[in-house]
Amino acid sequence: MSDHHDPAAAHGPVTRPGPLHADDHAAAHESGHHGGAGGHDAHESHGGIGKYMAVFAALCVLTTMSFFTYSSLWPWRDQPQVGWAFMMAVSCTKALLVVLFFMHVLWEANWKYVLTIPAAMMAIFLALMLVPDVGLRNRMVSQERALHMARPSDVQLLEQAGRAGLLAEPPH
Amino acid sequence: MNASAHSIPHDHDHHDAHGHDDGHGHGHITLQYQPGLPLSRGKLIMWLFLSTEIMFFAALLGSYVVLRFGASVWPKPHHVHLSEPIGAFNTFVLICSSVTIVLALEAARANKASVAKMWMLLTLLLGSLFLGVKAYEYAAKFSHGIYPARPHSRIYERPDLYYGSAVRARLDELRKVPVASVPAVLRDASTDSAAKAGDTVDVLKRLDDVSADKLTAEQQAARGRLQQLQKMVANPDQQMFDMAVVADQVMPLATEGADHGGGHGGGHGLNDTFPWLRLPAVIPGGNMWASTYFLLTGFHAIHVAVGLLVFAIMLTWKLDAKRAGGIENAGLYWHFVDLVWIFLFPLMYLF
Repeated sequence: MSDHHDPAAAHGPVTRPGPLHADDHAAAHESGHHGGAGGHDAHESHGGIGKYMAVFAALCVLTTMSFFTYSSLWPWRDQPQVGWAFMMAVSCTKALLVVLFFMHVLWEANWKYVLTIPAAMMAIFLALMLVPDVGLRNRMVSQERALHMARPSDVQLLEQAGRAGLLAEPPH
Repeated sequence: MNASAHSIPHDHDHHDAHGHDDGHGHGHITLQYQPGLPLSRGKLIMWLFLSTEIMFFAALLGSYVVLRFGASVWPKPHHVHLSEPIGAFNTFVLICSSVTIVLALEAARANKASVAKMWMLLTLLLGSLFLGVKAYEYAAKFSHGIYPARPHSRIYERPDLYYGSAVRARLDELRKVPVASVPAVLRDASTDSAAKAGDTVDVLKRLDDVSADKLTAEQQAARGRLQQLQKMVANPDQQMFDMAVVADQVMPLATEGADHGGGHGGGHGLNDTFPWLRLPAVIPGGNMWASTYFLLTGFHAIHVAVGLLVFAIMLTWKLDAKRAGGIENAGLYWHFVDLVWIFLFPLMYLF
């Protein structure tokens, strides 16, 4: 039976003499079925509850880390870019953990690259292609649009108004 | 050799299945197996679907990032009454549900059907909790007049003359409110019972006339501010700063941390004290924010709902080893939904 599991042996050389053919076919059939089922079973022994719990703990710690940027203890509150870069790094790490362990991609065969890498590249190109028209849309705007567009001074104006309150107290 | 090859066709099965080999001229049958992908068809289809989903959400998230950083003003999370702790809680809920569905799969593979069912039920409950929190957050946005589009949206970009005239128009509406829609505090049993179907009520005048003991201290103070505000909006030569004062009285830009514990609190604006006023409010950059927020979280919520539907159907099955493939595919989808939220949470709540 052991040679039945080896597809190369089962296929055999094309020029092998006749009398063995019938046996050869049977062997090839059997190995074909076994190979398929074996491939499916192969990754099921990976994972394990301990590993999943470790990943879960890591995800919780990472979520707390990105939430930490919101707390008053975060040292770079005046430079939001630091927080953004940090949070994106944390998110990518979390995504990687989920994909590799929960989605079992770590234990999959090489087909995983065929499906994920082109999709990920398309995703990045898609976002980059939006930059000229959408991202830079406010570099050149018509006067009319500029008139109705919110601008940073509006936020300051509202904050000033908040400090001033109503200019005169209402009569009672 | 040929003779021996021709002697084989008595074996019908082999002849039918491998007839294409005749063309080789060797005269005997050889098998050429095409190796397929080492995964089941269901899983292959699920992964193909997920790669389209990667591009779908990448388009949405990419547009959001590009819109957000291309905008001249983008509201701070507290300006739009987003509560970061609630977002973090929902992140935690989804991570937990990812773990429970993985454990359901492990149990099903070990042929422990009842354990698998228990984990899947827990996943369903956690997913429902996520949607419930999301609905609560949406309600907080709606109560502040933050909707993706007019006519429900009451968000204005700038405290300018257009805003002033919108406030004036709403105040005019409040002078002609149908009797049935008069807020409970301002109902007057003696006159309202005699009113005919088409009759309207000036609720602003009612508010001025209502006796002070019917109102709380906060409402009494707000009544005075509303009178002041009406004068400011009626003044034909309003300045931009006056309109900013009006906007601040209607719905102040919340300061950081003011919305702790629910997203409802924070404001002492007139819209908060008298929710029936529903006056237009100013949030610079708020309209684009609302469009992207509801689009992204809405599509994500739809994906969560679809996942919950799948889990609900699967809960009617016996979740033994035979169903492991199906649970694995549902789990792959669910992890992807979790993955999207992992990026949505910081982008929406913390950026």
